[in-house]
Amino acid sequence: MQSVWEILEGIRRVIELFGNPVVLETTFRSIYVSGTATLLSALLGIPLGVLIGFRDFTGKHFVKGIFNALLGMPTVALGLILYIVFSHSGFLGFLDLLYTPMAVMFGQAILITPIMISLVVHAVESVDPDVRDLARTLGASETEASIAVLRESTAGVALASISCFNRAIAELGVAIAVGGNIRGLTRVLTTTIALEVMRGEIEYSIAMAALLLLIVFAVTLAINLIQRRRP
Amino acid sequence: MNCFVKLQCLTKCYEDVTALDNVNLEVKRSEILTVIGPNGSGKTTLLRMMAFLDKPTQGEIYFDGARINDNNRNHMRTKCTMVFQKTALFDTTVYNNIAYGLRLRKRSKREIEKRIREILELVRLEGYQKRQTRKLSGGEQQRTSLARALTLNTELLLLDEPTANLDPKNASIIEEAITRANREYNTTIVTTTHNMLQAESITERVALLLRGKIAEIGPASEIFGTASKNLASFARLENVFPGIARIREDGTSLIEVSDAVHIEAALKKSGKVTVLVRPEDIIVSKKAVSSSARNIFEGRIVGISDLGSTVKLNVDVGKPFVVQITKRSFSEMRLNLNSRVFLTFKASSVYIV
Amino acid sequence: MERKVWIWTTALALVVITSVAGTAYYISTSRREKLVISTTTSLYDTLLLDVIEDQFEAEYPIDVYFISVGTGLAITHAQRGDADMILVHDPSKERAFLEDGHGVCRKIIAYNFFAIVGPEADPAEINGLLPPQALLEIVEAGRLGQAKWVSRGDDSGTHTKEKGLWNDAGLNWTELREEEWYIEAGAGMGTTLQITEQFSAYTLADMGTYLKYYKDNIIALKELVTQGEELLNVYSGIAVNKSMHAETNLDGAISFIEFLVSERGQQIIEDYGKNTYGQSLFYPAVGLLEENAELVTVQWIKNYAFFNGYECPPQYQNGHPELYS
Repeated sequence: MQSVWEILEGIRRVIELFGNPVVLETTFRSIYVSGTATLLSALLGIPLGVLIGFRDFTGKHFVKGIFNALLGMPTVALGLILYIVFSHSGFLGFLDLLYTPMAVMFGQAILITPIMISLVVHAVESVDPDVRDLARTLGASETEASIAVLRESTAGVALASISCFNRAIAELGVAIAVGGNIRGLTRVLTTTIALEVMRGEIEYSIAMAALLLLIVFAVTLAINLIQRRRP
Repeated sequence: MNCFVKLQCLTKCYEDVTALDNVNLEVKRSEILTVIGPNGSGKTTLLRMMAFLDKPTQGEIYFDGARINDNNRNHMRTKCTMVFQKTALFDTTVYNNIAYGLRLRKRSKREIEKRIREILELVRLEGYQKRQTRKLSGGEQQRTSLARALTLNTELLLLDEPTANLDPKNASIIEEAITRANREYNTTIVTTTHNMLQAESITERVALLLRGKIAEIGPASEIFGTASKNLASFARLENVFPGIARIREDGTSLIEVSDAVHIEAALKKSGKVTVLVRPEDIIVSKKAVSSSARNIFEGRIVGISDLGSTVKLNVDVGKPFVVQITKRSFSEMRLNLNSRVFLTFKASSVYIV
Repeated sequence: MERKVWIWTTALALVVITSVAGTAYYISTSRREKLVISTTTSLYDTLLLDVIEDQFEAEYPIDVYFISVGTGLAITHAQRGDADMILVHDPSKERAFLEDGHGVCRKIIAYNFFAIVGPEADPAEINGLLPPQALLEIVEAGRLGQAKWVSRGDDSGTHTKEKGLWNDAGLNWTELREEEWYIEAGAGMGTTLQITEQFSAYTLADMGTYLKYYKDNIIALKELVTQGEELLNVYSGIAVNKSMHAETNLDGAISFIEFLVSERGQQIIEDYGKNTYGQSLFYPAVGLLEENAELVTVQWIKNYAFFNGYECPPQYQNGHPELYS
């Protein structure tokens, strides 16, 4: 019974939270960090995914297999590896990235790029194979035909981006390991929840968790509405 | 030179399958040529060659006198277009689908709008511009892809089984659009089908493609008139009977297939003909059905085959007929070998081939 | 089609603008001098450090970043050069830190006491006992199936303290942890308290976390053993040795330590929590040590947290003798 009450209290506090400047700052930072991570991952992952999806080459199965395996990377493991690398005694220590939002950004980008690539490859490969010939028989050059195929896969690519964003904004292991959960600098929604749970602030944590869920749902919903498509 | 498209010693192999074997074919300008043949005979491959989508393994293709090679293939593709058997559509509006080719050819927006309006009228899809193609019915989708090809007004139009799997209404709209394109714009049209009956309605010349080779080619009436062994074997046609036809005063024809069997057809033909009645057009009953149908025959069941949800019956009415009924009807009528049944079919169900 | 393209382009533009703006903002803030302090969860979770941070940043043009982890990790951070100073409560580890050359200028900042807390019913009957006896009772009750013990089990300062207490009672911790009544949480103080509450067990808790959880009604455990030198908890700050890790901000660390030991800093420490909990969570140590007042506590601190009689042995004072005058 107490847990039901706690959840209700938490929901009430979510509404209250919208006015709290610290919460707003943390939320914005979460979106900024994970959004930029998604952008970085898209810059690398979409072209790469399209290339792999389009072409047939020896070892294609193997490459796809590797990326699929990386989908399930545990964030704590990645966070640990990145901490060691970014640390001042690590080989990227000279970049002075540890405990900055950039570190979290790059870390999350590394985390989600395999997801981006896998999903983009899938999206491109799911396009009706006839589309290319259709474009060609309507007068398209090879390049124009490729563009037509790409256009057919945009829904899948959009979905890939959203999935990556959601994964990034909801992860904890990397953010805490390379971000350090520093107040006012690298504290994001997930790390705040972790901290506040440990401190015993259950209601506040539930409120933040609800806020995080809200963001994830809202983003997914927005994309689905724009695409007017079922995933 | 009246020959518009010329295929010379054309061979196409995919992996270890030879789809086309030394094909020589000349397509006349502005004609409608139908290639018929069973599934797997190479019809689609033939069209794809003429659409310049694939390269031949051996042989040459000439288009309007010009030999097709790697340099001009891409350009030549703008002079012809192919409608695939399996409808392929871009996942967007009808408008955008049809506009695609026009946009590639850099037509103005105003011209595109006008052309699309006109072509949608032709395929009876007026007002469909903003509809999402994935939400259309099968027939509407096929008409859209036809409109998309027609609007380009290419010199050569290739259609792979354009009316397969369509109900008669949609099929006739498509046939109408094809014939209009040929009549008004002198478009050279090559279609394929495995359905002989559809072929006869719109085409002038027919080529029979069997196992990658052209077995026969000639005017439709010639090819169908002889009902050669080649034709019948691939078509797996049932209830095909040669006979002598006589035109009657009321505009129908009576075909004497044998002494006992005289079939009435709703067409005007005389002389030696071959008639065909589709099994699904024949009604089976235990007693004579009084209806407007002009053909009623009484016979005995001489063969029964279980086809799952239906049952195929061989009925001897003086000539062997093949009919089909549902399993339920079969058990309700309590039919057996040697059961006496009546076969009834309309004069309009009789095809003359 | 057109409209969809517009929506996508606008969305993408928004995302890119946000990213660029945010990044520019953070790069500009990173130009400011920063000070990274690794500290322990038991100190950080009371939020005392946020208060100190705000006050410090108001006076100095330095951005303070607290990384709150366990004592073990805090020290590891510093050893890798990822922190500029540490604020911990584990004298044995602090000593090693100095002797390994990683740290300089250690100052004892504050102190409080641990307590053994447990259920109100107190099945092992330890209320009011001194730590060694209490622990022996708990072991006995545990073996009889009447009581349980929850340990931090995470190599934190509290955990080190706990191991020391078992030692003082003449017990072998490595054997005890294998017994059924001994539960290793592997977690922070808060979670450990919640587990203790759940199992109606006993545990060693620092007063700061305990008072907060008790007041917030998260736990109903009572303080049962509060007296005894063994329960002393001393917090110190140590700056990271710049000769070992060139990129650290030694000057900033010294400034921060100076702030902590100043009258103002010590007052903040003393005042913290008085309003909310009715008592200080932490007691200022500097004045105490300087004036030698309340002899007993000072003696205890010296016994427990001094190294060879020094708060910070001279070889590690690194040219800042004024801190120790």
